[in-house]
Amino acid sequence: MAKAHKISGVKPLGSYRENARIILPQKIEEVYTWEPFIRDAARREELHNMRISIKRLRYTMELFRVVYELPKVCSKDAVATDDKRFAEFLAVIVDLQSILGDIHDCDVVLQVLTDYTCQSASDAVVLDILSATGKDGIDRLIAQTRETRKAGYQKFLEKWEQLSAANFKRKLLSFLVT
Amino acid sequence: MAVEAQIAAISPDETLETCARQIIVSYFHQMMSYKDGAKDGCDIAFVHDMRVTSRRLRAAMDNFADCFPQKAFRKQYKKVKAITRTMGAVRDLDVLIDRFQKSLDTLSEAEQLDIRELILHLQREREEARKPMLALFTKLEETGFETKFLEFFVGRSN
Repeated sequence: MAKAHKISGVKPLGSYRENARIILPQKIEEVYTWEPFIRDAARREELHNMRISIKRLRYTMELFRVVYELPKVCSKDAVATDDKRFAEFLAVIVDLQSILGDIHDCDVVLQVLTDYTCQSASDAVVLDILSATGKDGIDRLIAQTRETRKAGYQKFLEKWEQLSAANFKRKLLSFLVT
Repeated sequence: MAVEAQIAAISPDETLETCARQIIVSYFHQMMSYKDGAKDGCDIAFVHDMRVTSRRLRAAMDNFADCFPQKAFRKQYKKVKAITRTMGAVRDLDVLIDRFQKSLDTLSEAEQLDIRELILHLQREREEARKPMLALFTKLEETGFETKFLEFFVGRSN
């Protein structure tokens, strides 16, 4: 797992509001450093790292939620709109985290199943009971998990392309720093 | 299941340093509130909740690192990181065991035998994975981690 990028330019004696606008764009950039790798389904490590960066962005957005909930202008409508937009952006981030989480879970399951199969086969060979080991259930789960992983990856890619086409990154940055 | 962040009310016009102390202390209390349940081990939710809160705490510490003297800050950060890590090993196995148990319904009786064997294997691994976690908790208790952490982050008032 990649380390969190070092945050720079933080002003400890500046306001919480001011620092939200310094920290959040850096968290967004961290997420996008993984973008060049995501069109290759086999880049498990990078997909995992993107998930972790998205999680860090989510937690940071939640930390600074109060900045976007309180009135920037006196109009109640404007406040309600900001609240709603923040919630919508956050929901997208949570959704991406969840889809990537499902992909990662599949990768872990596949690793465990294949490791276990090899270990079982090796034990069985040593104990001369290979026929009693039986791997049908494991093979079946491997096949099921591969299918789930494939579908999850496809879902992620479609979602990502939709967001890119809708200029999600630019809109999110603009909302959070304005 | 999502662990809700429990941060006391903060004002966005306060200084970052003041808010950072408040948030870190708040997450820390929340994280430690799950410790006894995690030690007990009967309900897997406690390990999950403590781990998620430790991640939230680390995210806050990453963001607010520049508000604190670095050497002492890194010392506390490393301990929180160790908590996340040792709990991660247990949580990963909890998730796998749960997932494989749920998959049993989709399999024939013969296939289920393989998976039940695998679940037993993972349950044994889980018992092993709990040992470093429990050892870490004991060490943190013996060295007064909780008091030292709070002394550092409650620190001076502004």
